Amino acid sequence: MTNEQIERHLASAVEKTAPDDVNGVLSRCEERKGTVIPMTTKKTTKRKWTSLIAACLAVMLLGGGGLFYQRANAIASVVSLDVNPSIELKVNRSEKVLVCTPLNEDAKAILADMGNGADLKGAKLDVAVNAIVGSLVRNGYLNSISSAIMISVEDKDTARAEKLQRELTNTVDDVLQTSESRASVLTQTLTQDAGLTQQARENSISTGKAALVNRVLALNSTLKFDALAKLSVEELKDLAEAGAPAMPIGMDAARTAAEEYAGTTAVDSVTAEVDPELDESPAHYEVELQTAWGEFEYLVDAYTGKVLSGQKDLLAAVSASNETTKPAGQKPVPSGAAQDIGYAKAKSIALDHAGVREDQAYDMDIELDDEDGKLVYEVEFKSGNTEYDYEIDAASGTILKHEAELDD
Amino acid sequence: MLSVLMTTEYAPMEDRHELQRLLICVADGEREALAELYRRTRTAVYGLALSYLKNAHDAQDLTQDVYVQVWDCAGQYRPTGSPMGWLLTVCRNLCLMRLRREERHAALSEEEWDAIPAQECGLDADERTLLQHALASLGDEERRIVLLHAVTGLKHREIAALLELPLPTVLSKYHRALKKMRSFLEGDDAR
Repeated sequence: MTNEQIERHLASAVEKTAPDDVNGVLSRCEERKGTVIPMTTKKTTKRKWTSLIAACLAVMLLGGGGLFYQRANAIASVVSLDVNPSIELKVNRSEKVLVCTPLNEDAKAILADMGNGADLKGAKLDVAVNAIVGSLVRNGYLNSISSAIMISVEDKDTARAEKLQRELTNTVDDVLQTSESRASVLTQTLTQDAGLTQQARENSISTGKAALVNRVLALNSTLKFDALAKLSVEELKDLAEAGAPAMPIGMDAARTAAEEYAGTTAVDSVTAEVDPELDESPAHYEVELQTAWGEFEYLVDAYTGKVLSGQKDLLAAVSASNETTKPAGQKPVPSGAAQDIGYAKAKSIALDHAGVREDQAYDMDIELDDEDGKLVYEVEFKSGNTEYDYEIDAASGTILKHEAELDD
Repeated sequence: MLSVLMTTEYAPMEDRHELQRLLICVADGEREALAELYRRTRTAVYGLALSYLKNAHDAQDLTQDVYVQVWDCAGQYRPTGSPMGWLLTVCRNLCLMRLRREERHAALSEEEWDAIPAQECGLDADERTLLQHALASLGDEERRIVLLHAVTGLKHREIAALLELPLPTVLSKYHRALKKMRSFLEGDDAR
């Protein structure tokens, strides 16, 4: 056989196995053009149907059709989604949502635009989960690379629980992919357990999260269930992996510690992002304070609350750096006393390097960021259909990192 | 590298113009243009997806995703660039994204080559041998190069640009791959 023959055969074989479902593509195209959650509009008609069906079933019930009715309304599995918001979905055998309950305050905010969960009643489980995860992403719960969402499926029938769990993992993955979130997905299947349900109810968390708390407690019985219940899934997961040496201070306390250290407690405009890194050594919280002068990163010890690194007394340091007009040479910057090339210079360094004129660049985004105590400018822009990404040392103007990729 | 990729021609001139026209119509929201683009390029896109994902089922899914993405993003295509190159880059990025995502699920072990779809698609015994066993005897990159050459119809120079590999590497891998396949098929015939 010649090369050409092999190639020809191969091409025709691949053509036979390539998908040929143009309608499948077209149907999804319409969906994507609208919003991700086309639920509220469809819901009203469905509710009418539900009452109609219920009426029919009531008639059938009298005539001995009770089994159908029971099946449709019997809870087959309980699915819970935990990030820090905890949401519980009870579903029947055909994977229709019977009840959707927000289990804590954070969860209520997530379900606010879905009638506190009521709008999801009657929806297919995957549609409901899609909507919830979309809302979690929009509310910023799954932004950081280390954030985690846990899917727990409780069912007497293990095979069904596992099947459901696989399907849900795919659904969640798809949402995360479309929204470019890099959060990780944890999954577990549980058999129904009255004790666990009780513990979960008392602490306003899902049984899935209660199971995770118990896993941590098994490692260190001196910790308290109710305190652990307040931690996020990501913290609990890291804690379990680290062998649960002690009780972490929690994300709120870490933020407070960083703000006190930075002296910005009184400044209202400061916002913070907290990222637990309990699986690192030393275990810490990474707190990023976004201020009018840029972003500053603080590492706070996860168990003692001591600030390990970061700029102390931000206001004083910023006014000091404004006074030093010209950076003197390229000597290393002692943490804080920021020498700064300025936004305009950072932009021109990046554009020069990319060989792009300023009038060809669009979607320009420049941010001053603190990376492990070093100030860098992050310069992003597009030109043609290429996206450029630069990290430039704010003190010396050196390009630390650069990337260019096709923007699709 | 990028500029090379964007200006490289991937198809005969008339084809290129036609694909270009279709992409512009897709950007305008013409569904029929997307359908035509799909019919003309689905095999090429699938071939590339298969070479990354290594199994027919995932590659079929991903191929569908590519066109949904194209529908959403066709507005970003610039008529100065090669339409096929753009399409394949969309496909490659989706593949890499999916592979990265799968890496995070610890349970997944090294994927094995599985190019035969579960549903019946009219492959004869020779085609099955070729697709499944002969291709399985190749390394990942060799397989990708062969598929891009045979199925997508790319020239070696274009494959080098798309995969960001030096041209001599592409050439030597291509020749080694075909030699392996030929000896596999001839050995198979003799048996």
